[in-house]
Amino acid sequence: MIGQSIVLAADVPFPPSVEDFYLPSILPWGEHNSYWFTKITALLWISVAAIIIYFLVSYRKPQLVPTKKQWIAESLYGFVRNNIAVDMLGKRGINFAPYLTTLFVFILLMNFWAIVPIAQISPNSHIAFPAILAVISYVMFIYIGMKHHGGLKYFKHALIPPAPWFILPLLIPIEFFSTFLVRPFSLAVRLFANMFAGHMLLLVFTLGGFAMLNANAWFAPFSLVSWVMTIALTFLEFLVICLQAYVFTVLTASYLQGALADEH
Amino acid sequence: MAAQKPPNAPSGDDEPAPPDTGMGMTAVAYLFSGMLVWGAIGLLVDHWVGTKGIFAGIGAVVGIGGGVYLIVRRLGA
Repeated sequence: MIGQSIVLAADVPFPPSVEDFYLPSILPWGEHNSYWFTKITALLWISVAAIIIYFLVSYRKPQLVPTKKQWIAESLYGFVRNNIAVDMLGKRGINFAPYLTTLFVFILLMNFWAIVPIAQISPNSHIAFPAILAVISYVMFIYIGMKHHGGLKYFKHALIPPAPWFILPLLIPIEFFSTFLVRPFSLAVRLFANMFAGHMLLLVFTLGGFAMLNANAWFAPFSLVSWVMTIALTFLEFLVICLQAYVFTVLTASYLQGALADEH
Repeated sequence: MAAQKPPNAPSGDDEPAPPDTGMGMTAVAYLFSGMLVWGAIGLLVDHWVGTKGIFAGIGAVVGIGGGVYLIVRRLGA
């Protein structure tokens, strides 16, 4: 078994590089200039399908005493609604609970592929997916703010802090930068970088074990340590997966809260 | 859809106000934004005047000051 692995691992490249995130094409199989359908695409569609089907099925015949399926779906929704949406946005939070729940569950599942055997890469480790999610949050909080405050008054509310007039020239650029430039960027990069680094870390420790074994048979114990570390890091990765899904949702709710806030 | 009732008041009398998790991020964003924006403006001034970074330094310090002021005004009591 180990002998086989070594033979298999003989051509394992080490150290892993960014190239390892660009997976081969599935449809058409092994094509080199058509990347319309790769594992990333497949995982995305599986995630979307799984979420839609799961929530439809678990709530098809709602019971007063919920079944296990229904209980999990209700707990997920209840968690986001009560602990994120209502906590941060008050009564109005209930209006945003469906979107926030969808966001939370989607990111959670997309991240979770990072530690599912065979899948073992999260689509969110490509910047495109977090970027689109961040753009949705960005457009949404600006739109909600404009609707709440009435058109351009929102920007006055967002950009002009309660301060004496003579420091406003100092503060307005900071407000603009932190609200309208840093927010979408940091949302996207935080999620992307966490998933990217997580995948890279697992690759380094897995492939590093093989690399050491290939280099010298005496390194076998160290390879073993490396693989044990991989298992430990997988648990750490699970923590990061849940935390990042939560953070993204909470920050989106927080931005909405800022857009809905009245003058103080 | 959830069977649980949403809590009546987000910050009722009997329980402490919910911790605003986003607030920490906002504060950090203000600090960094202040430093970056005014540091960058200072750098441009440096470029224009021909100095070697004195205005970037001043800009960064002033920017951080502005960031702290914003945190106090926006997030403080």
